[in-house]
Amino acid sequence: MTEAIAASWSDVPKWLMPRPTKEDREYWEGAGRGELRIQHCLTCGRHQHYARMLCSHCGRQTLEWVTASGGGTVYSFTVIRQNGVPPFNERIPFVVATIDLDEDGARLIAAMPEVAPDDARIGMRVRATFRPAGDELGFVDFTAAE
Amino acid sequence: MQRPVCVVGVGLSDGPVTPDLSAVMLEAQSFRRALDDAGLEKDDIDGLASAGYGGMHEVALAEYLGLTPTWLESSSVGGSSFEFHAMHAYRAIQNGDADTIAIVYGNNQLSASGRTLGTGGGGGGRGGMALPLPMSYEFPTGLTLVGAYAMAAQRHMHEYGTKPEQLASISVQMREHAARNPNAMYRDPITVDDVMSSRLVADPLHKLDCCVISDGGCCVIMTTEERARDLGHRPVFVRGAAGGTTHHSIAAMADMTRTAAAVSGPKAFAEAGITPADVDMFAMYDSFTYTVLVVLEDLGFAPKGEGGAFVTDNGGNLRLGGALPTNTDGGGLSATHPGMRGLFLLCEATRQLRGEAGASQVPGAEIAVAHGSGGWLSTQATVVLGTEGS
Repeated sequence: MTEAIAASWSDVPKWLMPRPTKEDREYWEGAGRGELRIQHCLTCGRHQHYARMLCSHCGRQTLEWVTASGGGTVYSFTVIRQNGVPPFNERIPFVVATIDLDEDGARLIAAMPEVAPDDARIGMRVRATFRPAGDELGFVDFTAAE
Repeated sequence: MQRPVCVVGVGLSDGPVTPDLSAVMLEAQSFRRALDDAGLEKDDIDGLASAGYGGMHEVALAEYLGLTPTWLESSSVGGSSFEFHAMHAYRAIQNGDADTIAIVYGNNQLSASGRTLGTGGGGGGRGGMALPLPMSYEFPTGLTLVGAYAMAAQRHMHEYGTKPEQLASISVQMREHAARNPNAMYRDPITVDDVMSSRLVADPLHKLDCCVISDGGCCVIMTTEERARDLGHRPVFVRGAAGGTTHHSIAAMADMTRTAAAVSGPKAFAEAGITPADVDMFAMYDSFTYTVLVVLEDLGFAPKGEGGAFVTDNGGNLRLGGALPTNTDGGGLSATHPGMRGLFLLCEATRQLRGEAGASQVPGAEIAVAHGSGGWLSTQATVVLGTEGS
């Protein structure tokens, strides 16, 4: 991991800026505050990412926002070595992973800019980090847990 | 009483590189060739299916072709759309909602957009376009279409010990078939080493694990057995069909080593009254080598986790002469992939069952399966064809 790679992720061009909706503003603003916000279902007890009207596990409309611990496990990953969209074309190679959050039922895809391609493993423990996108919003990345 | 249904016409446009033909010109050319192949005229067509260009494309295509169909279908679920179209056309003809249906697709993907599909850079996703859920979360991570498949392949390797060399072997075997197809994009033989030493696009997928980008069009015409008996070709029967979806985003694919083909395959095979051992020829949407491997398992050609051994055993089971000759035209990996390939699978399976595949003929082929995979392993559909009805 080099500082140069991390630096290249701090610049967020306008075409990558989140466009919050009525449904998911809480997620993007939470990430801006340094919190990973997900939904928890009061009926089945499971969690979900991304925000929806209904629980994707049980179908009920009994969801509340909670702040996830930020801990998770890599279900799978890849090393992106070709992406023609700027600024990703300047960031390659980088790791993108599918991560099972510690909160049951919630899974998401995230970049792991601080994890070197050779260090990524399925099953590795990871934790959320937050990267500003403008003044109020943010992205959730993951890095190796301590 | 359900009417037996047959494929009676197939047509391929010029290809694989057609800078002088637009997408709709490719569609029209393949439509005309399928009519000629069937011995039909345009006014025999009362149903039309197409996909890939957004709202009302099939309506615009009907007008362009001078058709006034009373049955329309535009399921747009990625590259497998055309197996869904074939399934719905089969049901419609069975039930008497339509008599003769044309499924049409063409795209000048290569000439219009270059080799950008799958890794971005073609302008998609930039600027003012709002991305559909859940892509608004994925796009800023830098994940690509190839990367989504790559994560699934990586998980299969982790769970079952599948080797990149086994994935590479799929590409090598498809290239052998392409060498026999004068219209294939790439025809020079390749080795497993060639695949493994081609550059990584998204680990563990190399450039030669990825399908080609070409131009091309295809049309498949289906009608009743009764009408098929009056036409020139030996009828090819539709014997079973089923489809399904498990996710849109690859993140929502609960088990990346098992697709909806594990449901659609057994369902279609049961309707057709066959088992995997009965299949003489397999037309499989080889968007990536992993797509082939996981669906071989899901359809029951190999036990779960043993797809890697299956493809390499016996000197290569996907080869002509192997246990399951697959993509005898060279597939999307070497021959033709104009953005979406699903319809070309039905065409090649039909040619095989008619005995018209020339240097790539599977001797005595009686049962063929065309299987489409769309999106990011998102949508799967299986169509069983045979020389006899069920």
